[in-house]
Amino acid sequence: MNRHHHSVLEFKQGRYFKVAVFLCILAILSYGWYEPLTKYLNFPFVYPKPYGGTWLGYTLGTIAALLIVWLMFLGIRKRSYSSSIGSVQGWTSAHVYLGTSLIVFASLHCAFEFGWNIHTLAYALMMIVIGSGFFGVFVYLRYPEHMTANLAGETLETMLLKVADLERKCKKLALDLPDEVNTLLLTAIDDSAKRSALGGSLRRQLKGVDQKHPMRIARDRLLKMGSNFTVNQVMMQEQLIAEMTRIITLTDRVRLDLRFRALMQVWLYFHVPLSFALLASLIAHIISVFYFW
Amino acid sequence: MDIQISYVSINRRGQEQRDQRRIEGPLINVGRGSQCQLHLPDPRIALQHAHITVSESGAVMESDPGRMVINGRASDSTRLAVGDRIELGPYLLEVEAPPQGVALALVVSLVVPLSSFGGGRRFELRAPRLSKRRLSYVAFFGALLLCLLIPLSQDLLGYPAKPPVAVKGKGPPVDMQEHVVRNVSAKLLPTLNPGPVSRAHQNFGDDCRACHEQPFIQVQDRACIACHKSIKEHVPVADLTGLKGHAFRDTRCAECHRDHKGIQMAPRSQEQCADCHRDVTAVAAKAKSGKVTDFADGHPEFRLTLLDANKPDAAPNRVRMTTPPSKEMVERSNLKFDHKLHMDPAGVRDPNGRMDPAGMRDAQGRPTVLKCSTCHQIAEGGRLIAPISMEKNCQSCHSLAFEPKITSRQVVHGDEAQIATMLREFYARLVLGDVPPDVSPPLDLPRMRPGAELAFPERLQAMQIADQKANMVLRELFDTRKVCVTCHEVSKTTGSVGWRVAPVRIAKIWMPQALFSHAKHKSEDCTKCHDITKSTSSSTIAMPSVKVCQECHTGASFIVGKVTSDCGMCHKFHAGRDYWHAELQAQMLPGGKK
Repeated sequence: MNRHHHSVLEFKQGRYFKVAVFLCILAILSYGWYEPLTKYLNFPFVYPKPYGGTWLGYTLGTIAALLIVWLMFLGIRKRSYSSSIGSVQGWTSAHVYLGTSLIVFASLHCAFEFGWNIHTLAYALMMIVIGSGFFGVFVYLRYPEHMTANLAGETLETMLLKVADLERKCKKLALDLPDEVNTLLLTAIDDSAKRSALGGSLRRQLKGVDQKHPMRIARDRLLKMGSNFTVNQVMMQEQLIAEMTRIITLTDRVRLDLRFRALMQVWLYFHVPLSFALLASLIAHIISVFYFW
Repeated sequence: MDIQISYVSINRRGQEQRDQRRIEGPLINVGRGSQCQLHLPDPRIALQHAHITVSESGAVMESDPGRMVINGRASDSTRLAVGDRIELGPYLLEVEAPPQGVALALVVSLVVPLSSFGGGRRFELRAPRLSKRRLSYVAFFGALLLCLLIPLSQDLLGYPAKPPVAVKGKGPPVDMQEHVVRNVSAKLLPTLNPGPVSRAHQNFGDDCRACHEQPFIQVQDRACIACHKSIKEHVPVADLTGLKGHAFRDTRCAECHRDHKGIQMAPRSQEQCADCHRDVTAVAAKAKSGKVTDFADGHPEFRLTLLDANKPDAAPNRVRMTTPPSKEMVERSNLKFDHKLHMDPAGVRDPNGRMDPAGMRDAQGRPTVLKCSTCHQIAEGGRLIAPISMEKNCQSCHSLAFEPKITSRQVVHGDEAQIATMLREFYARLVLGDVPPDVSPPLDLPRMRPGAELAFPERLQAMQIADQKANMVLRELFDTRKVCVTCHEVSKTTGSVGWRVAPVRIAKIWMPQALFSHAKHKSEDCTKCHDITKSTSSSTIAMPSVKVCQECHTGASFIVGKVTSDCGMCHKFHAGRDYWHAELQAQMLPGGKK
């Protein structure tokens, strides 16, 4: 299937995927050559165990550290619109793949040696940053499709216009119904605006569909009414319920859209600040290792 | 099949205006898009909202579900009849009676104008209070502070390594700030530790400065020697030659002994040994240790450290073993011993073997057969065999009795002069008539009457008799009865004793550089390694060849059915004679002495 849109993962037929795989294989082979596993077959006690201070350890560590600094430069590159050092898509593709290869480099650098110290903290932060990056890649690949399907050709604005129209219509329909229904609807509309505003805080945006939406509650209550309604009123009630359901469906879709948008943003609140924490702990790692050489 | 469409709008004066159009059928698209024949320009209408198909039988309007309300009921398909009211979002479509020549007439009016939409009040996309940039600053400087600046704050603020000593009764003379900095940094400093400190260093493991004396400078040997005062060198530094030899000479302790790598910090890497010993003369031109790569197939024959009993002051001679033994490969202990005779499987004569006239069997009729362990026992510590002693291992058979009738008395073993003195005193006592109750005096010895009072010449005569008897017995012991010469080289001298036993020097340890343990090889037969049963001379050396060891031991590579053995299994690295960094150690030891 020929698609017009290529994701960052498919940039130039996965050029950076190949680069990353090549680098990882190279690193694993050098590790296998420098620290052969046969060593462990001969003696249960191997001293010194592989560690970051061998020349291979220093090499892998240097590569990993430079890689981290370069990966963080994506934040600058994507803002410098006049820059012509590769395309931002290429940079992002390389960012994803080389960032993933960092797992191999850093793990081999530390030779799977972990402890309750700042060195492992740097490793853990790196893994969290990479993990949040994976989430970012996932949402960028997955959610736009869902969003398109959810909006179904509409925009947030048109959906909101429709909600307003429907509310007006509901008010008109309710005029011919008993007072309790009229009050119920007016309160629901008022409460929706006051207590269940669309959007709002990040937490609310992430929550998505509001099960306690006043309109939903009002509709459910209206469904149970009508034992003393006239035939005409029952017809009106049915219509009102249909319109309220449309409002609920529309607001649910709006909320879902906002949730997708929020999810596509929120991972960066982990990815970026934690990568700065990683940078600081990396500096601390390098300085402390040579401070107590 | 035309359709007439009347757009109803309200002009400025509030009057209704009609704008009539005719559209050609049969298919009419309804929607926001300008390509739609029935154009409804409002954002609340879909691009292609619905469509109307006109045919002979009438007009049918269809849309996706939920887009149309026909006469107050939601519907997605309807056959249009005059008087129908179709709600499309904000629009209302009414079906009128069509004029002549027209299939369908629709009146379109915008019921809910766009401007009447009430509010942005219910929609807000609030940005999170913390920006990513601000969070990043906090994360960066927070991590830097926690991971580096606070742990090192004591050094960064220039406080001395040791806190000021408290003055008695007054409390410590510190200002509050220094106190706090010291305590907080001490709490966080361990987080810089990359791994557990070795067991031997754990008791001062919290004091980084004990080994890491200077920031950004590798741990120097001085710090190691400060405690390891008596550590020995590997080989004399002067012997190291060539580039590799000099590189080895300049190797820091910490290059091999990496700490923070678990509870151990002694390297045990055969590759490191083989690196030099593969061709050891390239590292130390005068080295004689041979080429070694692996015990399985790259180990030379063992070297024996041999002594010469006749040259007590000479340095031990190191001789490489050969098969058959070379002329040099003999023991010169000045001792006579016949292993073959002693280990006769038919048994040996035993003085306690009363039943058998030949003296070979004990009271129960069992032959007295000597085993290795009859005489040779593993010494305390398990490494060596305990030295043989006359008193413990030989004397029960080889009696040193000097008078045929007196079996309860024997001469002492070891010193000729002492034997002479003892015999002279013993016989003088008998001659003087003082006979101990356990002794029946020999008949040929003249004796004084007990209790007689002797004049000086009589006493002198008595002493002469005793001396003569003692000298005769000495001659018997050393010469005619062949008591001493059974095992020893005896020669005549001019001294007061008249006989001299050649000094004995038996090797206590043949391979002092090897970490062999007899205790760990207890399960094996002695003769498996020490082939001595056929030897009739003490000059035979029955040390195992390397091939004997290789029967059970292989090299550093694992082989089923053999014991994996790297260099460190039998050899110590710091096994040289002199101290490591002799000069440095000399400076650091009290009085400048080693």
